[in-house]
Amino acid sequence: MAFLARRLGFYFAAFMVAITLNFFLPRWMPGDPTTRIFMALRGKMRPDQMEMLKKAYGYDGSLLEQYGQYLWKLLHLDFGISTVNFPEPTSSLLFYAAGWTLFLVGVATFLSFGIGLVMGIYSAWHRGGFFDSVFTPINVMMNAFTPAVVALLLWYAFALEWAVFPLGRAHDINLVPGWNWESAVSISWHAVLPVLSIVLVNFGSWHLGMRNTMINLLNEDFVVLAKAKGLSDRRVRYRYVARNAILPQITSLALSVGFVFGGAFISEVVFNYPGLGKFTLNAIESRDYTFIQAQLTLLTCSVLIANLISDVLNVIFDPRLRTSGGH
Amino acid sequence: MSRTLMMLAGAALLGTALTTGAQAEVIIRLAPVHTDAMVENYNPYNYSGPQAYVQDFAYEPLWIYNVWHPDADFPGLATSFDIAPDLMSVTYHLREGEKWSDGQPFTADDVVFTYNYAKEHRDYPVGFDFYDEAQQSGILTGVEKVDDHTVKFLLQHPDSLAHLNIGSIFPLPEHIWKDVADPKNFANPNLVGTGPFTQVRDFSRNSFKLCRNPNYRENATNTIDCIEYPQLSDNLQVIAAITNGDLDWATDGITDPDITYTPKSPDNHYWLPADAGTNLQLNTTKAPFNNLEFRKAMSMAIDRETLLDIATFGLTSPAKYPIGEGMFYKDWIDDKALEPYAYLLNYDPDAAKKVLDDAGFVDKDGDGWRDNPDGTPIAFKMAVPSGWDDWVNSLQTISENLADIGVNAKMETPEEGAWFENIPTGNFDVYIMWTNLSSTPWFTYHSMFNPRTMTPGTLNEQSMHQMRIPGIEADLDAISGTADIAVQKAKVTDIMTQVAENLPVITLFSNPAWYEYSTRNFTGWPDADNPWARPNNPAGVHERVKVLLSLKPKAAQ
Repeated sequence: MAFLARRLGFYFAAFMVAITLNFFLPRWMPGDPTTRIFMALRGKMRPDQMEMLKKAYGYDGSLLEQYGQYLWKLLHLDFGISTVNFPEPTSSLLFYAAGWTLFLVGVATFLSFGIGLVMGIYSAWHRGGFFDSVFTPINVMMNAFTPAVVALLLWYAFALEWAVFPLGRAHDINLVPGWNWESAVSISWHAVLPVLSIVLVNFGSWHLGMRNTMINLLNEDFVVLAKAKGLSDRRVRYRYVARNAILPQITSLALSVGFVFGGAFISEVVFNYPGLGKFTLNAIESRDYTFIQAQLTLLTCSVLIANLISDVLNVIFDPRLRTSGGH
Repeated sequence: MSRTLMMLAGAALLGTALTTGAQAEVIIRLAPVHTDAMVENYNPYNYSGPQAYVQDFAYEPLWIYNVWHPDADFPGLATSFDIAPDLMSVTYHLREGEKWSDGQPFTADDVVFTYNYAKEHRDYPVGFDFYDEAQQSGILTGVEKVDDHTVKFLLQHPDSLAHLNIGSIFPLPEHIWKDVADPKNFANPNLVGTGPFTQVRDFSRNSFKLCRNPNYRENATNTIDCIEYPQLSDNLQVIAAITNGDLDWATDGITDPDITYTPKSPDNHYWLPADAGTNLQLNTTKAPFNNLEFRKAMSMAIDRETLLDIATFGLTSPAKYPIGEGMFYKDWIDDKALEPYAYLLNYDPDAAKKVLDDAGFVDKDGDGWRDNPDGTPIAFKMAVPSGWDDWVNSLQTISENLADIGVNAKMETPEEGAWFENIPTGNFDVYIMWTNLSSTPWFTYHSMFNPRTMTPGTLNEQSMHQMRIPGIEADLDAISGTADIAVQKAKVTDIMTQVAENLPVITLFSNPAWYEYSTRNFTGWPDADNPWARPNNPAGVHERVKVLLSLKPKAAQ
């Protein structure tokens, strides 16, 4: 219990540091949110009007005052007003985008994990075989591919040239998404290319991670013993080796899940997918401080919660951590 | 029982058929602004996006300037306007019997209200150029209702061009906005306008439609039922959408259109007429840019043909004279007066070297680069935001051109926000920059030479060169002080000559007006043979509503 309490204290400190950085980092960037308005107006706005607008956005007063207001609002879960979509509340767009990102990156992460795991087990068991010597190098290569290139190639080939898949969006433009068959089809169809673009560059690392851990385990005494006992290949492969090799993979998976709310900005931008990555990129470009803050806060929370869960799981699975102050 | 069912089914089928017939609406799809998601905001003076959707189409200005053909303007909510002989007021004659989309009459009261409302809410960018005594700036001092359909705007000093400011304002319905205490934060959910499309329909994060205003005066001749705005978040998406037929009308940058766009469908068309100019803004407060001979040499050293054909993908148009603008104002350009300066745009590195040699810009410290006449080294930066590809290529070319004549000029590509932030400070050497267009060159040169925008700290992107030319300032005042076109033309020539003489900016080329259109669903688009109005559709091009209404739906033929 003391272990968990210590961790909780650490998480709280990390959270405070993170929300402070979330406030100051965007403001350290050069430029401010009025830039976009300035561009839109092309010389029709005078400097005094510009000052008025900055006031309207709430960017007057000292930075420290603004920071105080920010903390106060955050305490009330008020994320403020977006300047890109002025005066829309930041939270409405944040949660809209978060939903789509959760779906897109979530599906892509679990697919990558699943495919990588199966390929890793197979190529480790038959290491040096045909499958291993062909797919392992290919996956190393895929893993090194720039996500932007993969996404753009997929988009160009399958959406623009052979218009098999739609150019973008999460679903058909006139569809009102709901829990029905039509929505499911439309949403899945629109997700094929974006998901593929993420999976293609990601499953390689799972494959390699799983393969390498398994190969290390294959020479362990308990595996040799299991084989000597005459257990079936299948049983040794899955119950003895894969089961042990998967533990470190699950820790990495927990971390990946924590980062889901970081979005997949390249795929989202290329496929015009309404996810957090795309919204955040635009928010950064146009200095929409409130959106950047809100997104980073969401990301901070999800990463910390994912870590907390993995800590709890560790406590459950690792008896050494439970005996608090054992020695 | 089964028979009843059959009949019901039949009726249902018939009903479907009938509704489909009734719903065969003519919808045109355009994307005048990039957005990540649609937001329910229809405030015409919200410049973060809504303005692009509702200006012109839902809200009409008093007057629609035909920037390409100033003698063929379009009346808006006013049918005509008179400038008083003493140039101290402008009187607008408003349409009679005009109604807002909710049925309320539109009258002079709405215009007077809009003026006073804007004056009360200075943080709401309606755009009236109010006279400000402390700043000694602005022009408008008041507004008077002459009768229900006549309003008179009063000016602080004689000004024949104040109508350019007043005419472009979109009057607001008093009966709606009088209750709005904080207009900048107002989302205007129930849009009430006088334009052809005022009814918001089918809103989602992905798109929404603006449909027919039931009270629009020209409904009988308007064949288009709705405008649909699909959400598209960048240039690439917009071009892909129009390439594949998901858009009818686009206004985005395109590269290699003859390879990537037109071959995809016989309906895909584009036309890129010359638009605003592109110049180099030099910081003339410091060496070597404070030296005219150096500026001349710079201008002559630039290979503009390469800029046009390669750096900007062959999509830009050449400038003929070093007047800080391309040929956009060709009706105002006096070839005879400007011909003597045309050589400054000719690529001639040898002549440029000679000019530098004669002016004492030679390599004094032996590092291979020319130095200032006083011996201090020349090394400057030319800045363009990263990602502005055609301009990045242009500065790259110019950097090489200058290296050829021994001038050490490096390109830097800061992030967009940083680039913008340095404009008001004056902390720069060379910037590549657009110009501001209007129906008269006065506006362009006023932006470029207004001394009130030349104070470091509040520099304007047009006047950041900071060179005050008293002759030009006098000419600008003289132009706005007379309504005589002949005098105005003579003064404009005088201004252009002084720009060519002094080279406060280095003229490069004209950018295109990005205009892509599809004949899949509509015909009758303006093109090179029929250039009756500016054909692109970003916010600020008020002619766009006239272009849209002139289109012929294909199905209805």
